[in-house]
Formats: sequence, C-alpha cells, structure tokens
Amino acid sequence: MFPTPSTSHADYDKVYEPSEDTFLFLDLLQEELPFLQRRFSDLSILGSPLVLELGSGSGVVVTFFHNHILPDALFLGTDINPEACKTALETSKVNNGTRYFDVLRTNICDSLRPNSIDVLLFNPPYVPADTLGSYESSVKSGDWLDFALLGGEDGMRITNVVLDQLDNIMSRERGVAYILFCFRNKPDEVSQAMRAKGWTVTKIGERKVRWEILSILRFEKE
Amino acid sequence: MKLLTANFVQCSVKACSATPKCFPLHFDQQTADVPLELAHEDVDFSPEFVYNMLPRIDWPALTTTARELGNNMLPETKPEIENPNAPEHEQLLRDLHTLLLETQIIQGSMRCENCGHIYFIRDSIPNFLLPGHLVQ
Ligand SMILES: C[S@@+](CC[C@H](N)C(=O)[O-])C[C@H]1O[C@@H](n2cnc3c(N)ncnc32)[C@H](O)[C@@H]1O
Ligand SMILES: [Zn+2]
Repeated sequence: MFPTPSTSHADYDKVYEPSEDTFLFLDLLQEELPFLQRRFSDLSILGSPLVLELGSGSGVVVTFFHNHILPDALFLGTDINPEACKTALETSKVNNGTRYFDVLRTNICDSLRPNSIDVLLFNPPYVPADTLGSYESSVKSGDWLDFALLGGEDGMRITNVVLDQLDNIMSRERGVAYILFCFRNKPDEVSQAMRAKGWTVTKIGERKVRWEILSILRFEKE
Repeated sequence: MKLLTANFVQCSVKACSATPKCFPLHFDQQTADVPLELAHEDVDFSPEFVYNMLPRIDWPALTTTARELGNNMLPETKPEIENPNAPEHEQLLRDLHTLLLETQIIQGSMRCENCGHIYFIRDSIPNFLLPGHLVQ
C-alpha cells in the first residue's frame, strides 16, 4: 500500500474531506500502475503526459498520482471552489512538491486547450439530488461544499457534461480517463452508451461502501 | 500560476474556442487593481524533464507570452535537441526551466484577443469561471 498524502492543513468545513470514494480512487490507481507505466513508457514523440484532476478538492488524488504513479508527468487540477484550489496547491507542496502542478479555478475543465489531456481523474459530485451547488448562494455564504456532492438528477448532471465533452478534452493519441460512479448513476448504461460512441470502457474495480456501490470506469478512445 | 500554464489555457467563452484568437491569452494590458506580480520559486533542475516537456509546447504562443512578461531571450523557433545531457544544451534547458517552471505569476490579468474578456490571477490561481455559464 502506498501511503496517502497528508492533508492535515486542510479545513474540511470548506473543502471536501478525503472519503471512501477518494480512497477507492487511490487504491484502484495503484492497481493501474502497470497499465499506466506501459502506456507512458515512450515519451520521445509526444513528450511528458499531462495529467488533470477535475474537481481536485483537497488535491490528495493528484498528489498521490504524482508521488506514486507517474512522477515525471505534468499536473493540473481544476475546481469551482476557491478554497479547494488553494488547498490542493498546499497539499502538493507539503508532500514533496512537483516540478509542475497548477490549479485552475474553472467550471469542469473549461479553458483548457482541446485534446490536450492524457490522463483525466474525476471523482465527481455523484449523489442524486434535486439540486446542484449554486454559485450565487456560495458566493454569498462562502460555503462551496454543496458542489462536492450534489449531482442533480441520477447524480449525473456534472458527469454527463464531462462525458459529452470527453472527445474534446482527451488527447487523441493516448488519452485515458478514470471516472467514479455510484450505483444510482447507472454505470452499466453509461458504459454501453460510451461504447456506442467508440470508447473502450473497462470497469477497473468496485467496492461496497455502506448502502452504496462505488465503481471506477476507465475510458480509452480506440 | 506557472508561466508554462499559459501554454495550456485559452478563453473559456464557447464562441471563442472556434477562433484561433482564443489562444494564447495576453498579458499586455494589466489593470491597476491587480497589477502584475511575478516571483521566482526554486524547482529542482532536471534536463530530461525540460526535454520531455518540449514536444508539448506551442512555441509561437510561448514566445508571445514570454515577450509580454518581459523576456525576449527565446529563440524564434523551437530548439531541436537530441541529447538532453549534452553540455552544449545545458544553458538553454536551464533557461527554459527557469522561465517555464520557476516563474510564478502571483497576480495579474490575461486578456482574450477575440472577445476582450479579462481573466484575473490572484494568489497564483487563475480564475476562468464565467458565472453565467455554469451547469444549473
Ligand atoms: C466528490 S468531491 C472530490 C474531491 C477530491 N477529488 C477527492 O477525491 O477527494 C468533488 C469535487 O468537484 C468539485 N466540483 C463540483 N462541481 C464542479 C464543477 N462544475 N467544476 C469544477 N469542479 C467542480 C467540488 O468542488 C469538489 O471539490
Ligand atoms: Zn474570448
């Protein structure tokens, strides 16, 4: 087991606290190590991979990925929550740092150059709910945590936007995306729909957490 | 925000992404409320790391960004390097390392040439949110 990066500086009243979903991500990424090392072993033509954690929260996943999976990659995080952006930068710094890591405050991964991401990591707000986080009320209250969990209908409002944009986000030559789902997100239906659009979809693992079944799907363009 | 990041981002406005003017964003007009502030932050030098970054870099965009931030040292075209450990390349790789990885833009603003939108950087974090365009 690789150690989990320290996030003791984080304020969990303001930033999503690493939870069962986060830890499933870390454990399954560790199992993906051989796949990822193979995929990114020859950098002579395309150069270092660009790894993006979407909704990076505390930054624990992207920092783990740097420390244990592909240390020589380039790293970016995005989050809508301004406190999360600051916390993720700090998490990277206090866990040995990276040569290259930046966090952008943005919606999803708007503002990134198209087809530039080689590895996408996304633990989304996946909980089915009547609402989503509201920008206006979060600006007023300073509380951005609704954005961490509330996923709207089927918990899929944000994830669906990402899936629709995946073709435009991922690099054509070697893009691979890891996205977490709960059972009520209907991951099997998602797999089928994405396969029909030409993606190779692999369930890399799942885990029962109390009344929930969490799984992570891997998406590669053929 | 590290200078290299300017090579990875463009205007968030949907209509702009179809035009070549959405990239790179420009540092040529700074505002009085958020004046440009750069800082040097030490990063371990690795010639291989810089070498492996090169294929990713859009060179014309990089020279534009560097010039707008006051650095006129870059060659006009992307250098061709076969062996990152050859002594004749060390200075160039070190200069790129300093420029791309050690130059922090602590605050300032970036302008889209197409729509004129200004994106601010504060506490080293660029803000690309367009509040009217979020998923509801
Ligand atoms: C379930 S949390 C995961 C946090 C962290 N990646 C982890 O695994 O612990 C989801 C994160 O996505 C962010 N988020 C939600 N909606 C977003 C959006 N539209 N754009 C960017 N980030 C968003 C939240 O602020 C939150 O940090
Ligand atoms: Zn624009």
